[in-house]
Amino acid sequence: MKPVRRPLKSLQARLLLPLLGLVTVIWLAAATMTWFEAHEELDDLLDGHLAQAAALLVVQQARTDDDGVADAPSLHKYAPQVAFQVFHEGKLVLRSANAGLAPMSPKDHGFKTVRLSDGDSWRVFSTIGAERDVQVYVGEKTESRNVILWAILHSVLLPLLYALPLLALGGWWAVRQGLAPLRQLSHVIGQRRPQALKQVVLADMPTEMQPMVEALNALFERIELMVASERRFTADAAHELRTPIAGIRAQAQVAMGAGADEAQRQHALQATLIGCDRATRLVEQLLTLARLEAAPAAATAAAAPVDLSAVARRVAADLARIALARHQTLELEADAPHAIAGDDMLIGVLVRNLIDNAMRYSPDGARICVSVTEASGQPTLRVEDSGPGMTEDEMARLGERFYRVLGHERPGSGLGWSIVKRIANLFGAQVQVGHSDLLGGLAVAVRWPAPTTGKSTGH
Amino acid sequence: MRILLAEDDPMLGDGLRAGLRQLGFQVDWVRDGVAAERELASGDYTAAVLDLGLPLKDGLDVLQALRARKISTPVLVLTARDAVPDRIRGLDLGADDYVVKPVDLHELGARLRSLVRRSHGQMQDILQCGAVLLESAARRVSLNGESVTLSTREFDLLHVLMLNADRVMSREQLEQQLYSWGYEVESNAIEVHIHHLRRKLHPDVIQTVRGVGYTLLRSQDLA
Repeated sequence: MKPVRRPLKSLQARLLLPLLGLVTVIWLAAATMTWFEAHEELDDLLDGHLAQAAALLVVQQARTDDDGVADAPSLHKYAPQVAFQVFHEGKLVLRSANAGLAPMSPKDHGFKTVRLSDGDSWRVFSTIGAERDVQVYVGEKTESRNVILWAILHSVLLPLLYALPLLALGGWWAVRQGLAPLRQLSHVIGQRRPQALKQVVLADMPTEMQPMVEALNALFERIELMVASERRFTADAAHELRTPIAGIRAQAQVAMGAGADEAQRQHALQATLIGCDRATRLVEQLLTLARLEAAPAAATAAAAPVDLSAVARRVAADLARIALARHQTLELEADAPHAIAGDDMLIGVLVRNLIDNAMRYSPDGARICVSVTEASGQPTLRVEDSGPGMTEDEMARLGERFYRVLGHERPGSGLGWSIVKRIANLFGAQVQVGHSDLLGGLAVAVRWPAPTTGKSTGH
Repeated sequence: MRILLAEDDPMLGDGLRAGLRQLGFQVDWVRDGVAAERELASGDYTAAVLDLGLPLKDGLDVLQALRARKISTPVLVLTARDAVPDRIRGLDLGADDYVVKPVDLHELGARLRSLVRRSHGQMQDILQCGAVLLESAARRVSLNGESVTLSTREFDLLHVLMLNADRVMSREQLEQQLYSWGYEVESNAIEVHIHHLRRKLHPDVIQTVRGVGYTLLRSQDLA
């Protein structure tokens, strides 16, 4: 397991980018609002000044009565930005140096933004004196207003420009600090050997990470259990396979060394074949069991209505040939369909193992009865035989992996029972082992929970 | 050499019995631990092959019980348990050899012969008493360098006497060493084989101790 770096990085970016974006947007919004607000205030203020200046000029003109045009001196660096004209009886009598000869505004009274001969845009206030013979125009370049506005905006936005990289740096550092436990966790896990499935313990673990680490630890625990069971299983399986293989080897060598003894060679070769079949069966069972133990969830997920009677009929038909060869009577009583929730293949494996066990551990000529019935709504499979049966102690130990009942000529792996129990567990069925009152041997009953849906499927 | 085979697996037991018989061993086969202990305690076995996972009584318990009763029959443990702690435990409990299944029959035979040799203080596979030379693995006998053809029984009898050279062996002891179960031993079988050996090798090769049994002297001079 390598430390996972990419998602960590992106987590940092994921935190940082929206944060910076949000700050920028809010700041820009603030700047926009400032712009409009300042624009309005500035207009009001400066318009007021224009009106005030015009009023002064009107009053001034009423007192002076000079002839000819007087050019007012320019007294301030801002003076070129402002201009005025005073007309008396339609004649220009007073103007600022930068004002033209023509009236600045077509309007007699009020504000108007106009474009003058110098090509600039001017805000002009016109007013008429009380005696109606005085016309005053006071103008100001709009550009100067914009300069002020820009200056205001500048002072609002400039700090943001400087602050943004600082904010990004600080944010990056803060986020990095905040994510330190996550990095520590990835480091701790990255350092682990695959075999190390100890619990992860972090010093000063943030509460947000606790559920994750707990989930991780739970996962480790499950994996550890699985690995342990796997290891035990492998050891058991290797152990179990050694004996049949040793048998095959010994018999093959006997056949090779038989020399002129044809009967012995035949016997040994026959035994070799039987040994191979046994090993094959054992391997098959091991695989079935391994699959069941590795992915029980997958098997349960595939649960669908299965007709137990149909499965029993199919398996019994399969095994009848072997029963006949051993002069055993295999009876099946499964007329009505009985639906259970399960997996067709797995239920088949279960039924096969039960019937196979009954046949295997019963003598030649024995009777085996298989029945599918319903007891208080629960579909029930019963397999009974006229074999030797089992003691209480033996029944109690059934299903321990590789546990074999002693004193049997016919070899079994002891895995069949493990498989039966495992499959039954998967689908919530109960397995009961007891004495068969009918045949005197062993009786096994598997009881499924009552079906919740329709009563029968039937093929 | 009479071997007790304790193995519960029918096919492996059958194979080992047949195979060891092909190699010239007399083999008795038991299938559970209780029988193994009983037979080893009472019977006169040259060696035993003991499976550990035996029904009724575990092989290691059998071994422990035997050693506790001062029965020193060489025991070769043949098992599927291959873990080192298992091996150590087996050897510490008194096993003379520890072999993990599956095993080659010839190797098993060689290991058994080696066990028997060691238990009789022999260093090599070849036994020599005066001019008589016996190679147990090759099942060959020679007298003064000349090969002598012996039947299986004659060879086994000579082998037992040479392994127990200088010791007087009773007829019953010899019978027990030579015949596995299921063989009807005729009352004079041993005498007949002794007679044949004397004829094929030398009249004085085997001494009769009247009323006690037979003996073969390690340093004999067959002039």
